[in-house]
Amino acid sequence: MFFDFHVHESQELVDEVERLGYTGVVTFKHEENKNKDYSDDLISLRKDSSFQIRWGVMIYSNNIEDLKRKIQKSRNEADVLMVYGGDLRINRAACENPRVDIISHPYRGRRDCGINHISARKAAENKVAVELNVRYLLRIRPQNRYKVLGYYREILKLQRKFNFPLIITSGAHSIFELHTPLDIIALTYCFGMNEEEASFALSETPRNIIERRDISSNVVVKGARIIK
Amino acid sequence: MKLKILPPHMRNKKRYLAFEVISETLINREDVIPIIWGALWDMYGSCGISRFDLWVIKIWNYDTPEKHVMKGILRCKREEVHSVRSIIPTITRFKSGRVVFHTLGISGSIHSATKKFIYNKL
Repeated sequence: MFFDFHVHESQELVDEVERLGYTGVVTFKHEENKNKDYSDDLISLRKDSSFQIRWGVMIYSNNIEDLKRKIQKSRNEADVLMVYGGDLRINRAACENPRVDIISHPYRGRRDCGINHISARKAAENKVAVELNVRYLLRIRPQNRYKVLGYYREILKLQRKFNFPLIITSGAHSIFELHTPLDIIALTYCFGMNEEEASFALSETPRNIIERRDISSNVVVKGARIIK
Repeated sequence: MKLKILPPHMRNKKRYLAFEVISETLINREDVIPIIWGALWDMYGSCGISRFDLWVIKIWNYDTPEKHVMKGILRCKREEVHSVRSIIPTITRFKSGRVVFHTLGISGSIHSATKKFIYNKL
């Protein structure tokens, strides 16, 4: 059971993800112009199918106060909440917030991996998954690809030490950026991941996020939830 | 004089990797080989490529009105199959058009790779 947790919202992409052998997908739209109607249409089209479609919100923010406000605003509406990383303060704030599900490419536009031992410890405590985005790796110039592979190695080293959730996503905007799960697993060998770790990042971590969010929607107060 | 062939137990063990190519622009059989080799150069260099014993066996054309599709079979050493597979997703562009490669499956013989992955859909 493999999931792709970062795909641009489009019917064509969802069809292709299903064809490539994934079990579920999370479609994202920018949080500024979010519109849940389209996702609802997609979900209603596939009610009979076992293929899962979830709706996610990507949060873009320049400062911590704004980030907190946007998380508060979007949390209940989205199945998956992803924070657009890259800025060190945003990376740290996202890792410290248990309402965030995933921090997206914390290494974006940086000369380091964007995660240090403190953020890694906080991410593990709050179960915030760190995203390794395949699109980011493949869109960069081939002669600079070694840098991104180096960042992924650094994140992997921290993950083995602090055990925070790690997730691999395609970040696809078109069908030309989608790959089969086994191809992605093969690609992860390039930065030192083994098959078990890669499969876990593509299947178990997404499933845990979905389960956690399904449970949290039934929580009435802290420590009590409605069992259906 | 031709070199005498090695006994079977001393030959390199091979694997056959079936793949499909979906392209935005028209793509020929002759284009597929340089695309794969270019990606290999970028990822592993000449030292890495020398380990793979790579060969493009055959390519089939499956063009549809909507998109250009090709399928093919790639041969490599059994021990290096994961390394060869890892370059498949790194191929993203060809002649300013977008292109994507998907691995359909890996097999031990050309016959079974063709039967299982080329004539059947993914």
